[in-house]
Amino acid sequence: MSKRREHKIIGLRSTLLSIALFLFFILLSQQFDPYNQSQLANIATLLIAVLSITLLTGASGQISLGQGAIMAVGGYGSALLVTRLGFSMWISFILAIFISALFGLFLGLAAARLSGPYLAGTTLVMALAIPSIAVRFESFFSGDVGLSVDYGMPPVWLTNLVGEISIEEWSLYVVLPFTAAALFAVLNLSNTRTGRTWRAVRDNEVSAALSGINIQRTKVIVFVCASGLAGLAGALYGFRGLVAPSVYPTDLSLTLLTAAVIGGLRSIGGAIFGTFAIVFLPDLIEKITKNLAIPETIGNYLPALTIGTLLLLTVILNPRGAAGALEHIRHRKKH
Amino acid sequence: MTSFLTAFFSGTAQGAIYALVSLGLVLVWRGAGIVNFAQMGQAMFTTYIASQLIQHSYSYWSAFVIALISGAALGALVDLGLMRPLTSRKNSQLLNSQSMRTTIPVIASLGILGVLKALAGIFWAGEERGFPSPVAPNAIKIGSTNLAITGFDLFVIGVVFLTLVLTTIFFTKTGMGLAMRASALNPEVTRLSGIKVGSVRTLGWAISGTASSLAGLLVTPRTNLSPNTLDLLLIVGFTAAVVGGLTSLAGSVLGGFILGYVISFVNVYSAPENVFIAILIFLLLALFIRPQGILGSKEVRRV
Amino acid sequence: MLAISNLVTEFASVKALNGVSFQAKPGLITTVIGANGAGKSTLLRTISGLERASSGSIKWFDQELTHKSVESIVRSGIAQVPEGHAVISQLSVGENIELGGLFRKRIARGDLAIATKEVYELFPILYERRNEAAGSLSGGERQMLAISRALVSRPKLLLLDEPSLGLAPLISAQIISIVNDLCRATGLTVLLVEQNANTALAVADHGILLALGKVVADLPAKEMIADSSLRAAYLGY
Repeated sequence: MSKRREHKIIGLRSTLLSIALFLFFILLSQQFDPYNQSQLANIATLLIAVLSITLLTGASGQISLGQGAIMAVGGYGSALLVTRLGFSMWISFILAIFISALFGLFLGLAAARLSGPYLAGTTLVMALAIPSIAVRFESFFSGDVGLSVDYGMPPVWLTNLVGEISIEEWSLYVVLPFTAAALFAVLNLSNTRTGRTWRAVRDNEVSAALSGINIQRTKVIVFVCASGLAGLAGALYGFRGLVAPSVYPTDLSLTLLTAAVIGGLRSIGGAIFGTFAIVFLPDLIEKITKNLAIPETIGNYLPALTIGTLLLLTVILNPRGAAGALEHIRHRKKH
Repeated sequence: MTSFLTAFFSGTAQGAIYALVSLGLVLVWRGAGIVNFAQMGQAMFTTYIASQLIQHSYSYWSAFVIALISGAALGALVDLGLMRPLTSRKNSQLLNSQSMRTTIPVIASLGILGVLKALAGIFWAGEERGFPSPVAPNAIKIGSTNLAITGFDLFVIGVVFLTLVLTTIFFTKTGMGLAMRASALNPEVTRLSGIKVGSVRTLGWAISGTASSLAGLLVTPRTNLSPNTLDLLLIVGFTAAVVGGLTSLAGSVLGGFILGYVISFVNVYSAPENVFIAILIFLLLALFIRPQGILGSKEVRRV
Repeated sequence: MLAISNLVTEFASVKALNGVSFQAKPGLITTVIGANGAGKSTLLRTISGLERASSGSIKWFDQELTHKSVESIVRSGIAQVPEGHAVISQLSVGENIELGGLFRKRIARGDLAIATKEVYELFPILYERRNEAAGSLSGGERQMLAISRALVSRPKLLLLDEPSLGLAPLISAQIISIVNDLCRATGLTVLLVEQNANTALAVADHGILLALGKVVADLPAKEMIADSSLRAAYLGY
């Protein structure tokens, strides 16, 4: 198959899958009440951040414990552009990608020559430091109070077209095009030559270097791309109402990593599954604790306990996550 | 001058605690190639055990000793129950990739951290509580003048100094210490010398668990105890370990003290809210200027 | 006696050893020669337990070694000197030697002291430099250190993996002759892997020629030296 033809097919496949995801979310939202519609918008937003981890860890083997902090960079970037400089929301989202990518470049340059644990620790330090930066430079970042931003009202042409839509639905409509675009980008990247280069680095740095791949540059590029995605997610996440340190806590970074891990670090389908799981799991647990009349002092810790246990079970039973387990079952059936 | 002395002495005491944390991280990193992000979660858990014992009218010192022993046991348990089976599995396709072999243990340690925090919250309701110290935290007086050092600072410095002396003797003068250094440097030659490298590694996890458990006991009289209290300590300890070079035990201790002074001086001469930023800047500077650390050597760093 | 039968060792379904059988008699030097990639190092690493045999058996007298751990194989009196002068360069010379006898510290402290004294007598240069880092030694001295580390465990079988690799001919000849003397004086059994067939066969009692994971010749060393057609076919000279 010629290279151009291969690219065309990959492009077509990614386009179709992204459109399918878009339609799936729209159809699903029709079945949901407003609360779950806003949860769906959360999923669409966080999915972008989880995809950034799939890209970073699954495709190039680097690990970040601070994707939430990079989300904060994107969130603050876009919120400042809108509130201080009067940019339009849509342009601020696009610029958030570049701002956080630039931030990722700086961080990547510091950490890319280091092995996994260094990057993990450095990004964790960052996740803890970012909120205190917001507090330290209070006049600029508005400290703990944060910056109020929102998606605004649905435009008239849209309501004319589809009728009255709720705030929750509108938030989903704002986020979804970006989610679809992010999916398209990640699908394309991981299936082309670039993606293969990244995987070579992931699997064996020495042999990748011997086949002429510049390891450090590749790692930095992946980190920059992943940061751009996380920043976009952070901007979308902030525009739910508030950009503040409390919106991007350290736990957010760990939750995102959990989503990527339990779904399967190397699978985009896994990322989607994992994101659904981390958003709906706390709701589910809350329902169960209420039904079983478990006291709140215990119930408060059950989501964290479940997520930790899921992480452990995943690495023990099947490090390739749900996607890996599925593949394993399919493989068995064939034989 | 007084503020300088205050910063210096409190920096020494804080640095002593950071040195313990950093030493614990480096011990496991050298032995097993894993950065144990659950380390201070383990310490938080054992400090809660001590706190619980004291509430049930055990003496401070018996609770202290039991906490250290449980720290060792928890460390060994993490290795035997989780890390060893994880890293020895060779068939898994995921672990065949080089970077995943370092990534998977990191994820596992985060899982342990999450579970330990949640369990502590469930068992002990997660409310912030105080933790006693055997020495009053007042400034020491000579005649009527207050010295810039508190009795508690002296206690911390004394305990850590003793620990470091004992650790040094263990590593340089005993056979087990030699076996531990050898296993970290070259597992194959060490195995060929008839030494059970796996058991030596587990011992490393146990010592690391004890050191961080001690750090938990020494830091909580100041910070109080809650499931999240010790997160900061992990971050500082990690930075100290990176500054010291991750592979060097002496470097990790040195890095701990350096961080102690940096944080203490930022606290006294600047403002407490600058501490995080100072840590981040310090870490990034260390990574840019000397990624192998002060005492780490380039060739022995694992890839 | 070391008896190896039908030994197979695989790496990702490539058979590095493909049914190797031979015996090494006690108190003698048996040398395993062959071209690069013939499986010589894999053979030694399988005997010492560093690689896992897929099938076949390794017996030392009546002890089955096949699926034992490296540590217990070493403890039953089989010491390997791995390829490439493997010493721990960050440790001192003395510590490297101490390491080799560490597991005997509790069971035979007195004899350990004697064994340590003996290796220092065998290689006086190591005694002179006992406090220096092993990394500062020359290639020949490192090989001496690697052998000493193995000897203080008082092995009955010594596995030597290419001791002359990368050494000047004079030094490698000196090392081989010391091993030879040791074998004759103490009854140590030696399994010597060498690419340099002439050096090895000169001291060995018996020769095993490996090619592509199989034994192609199993002869007394003198006959192997004489057989020029074997050498032409398998070693290329």
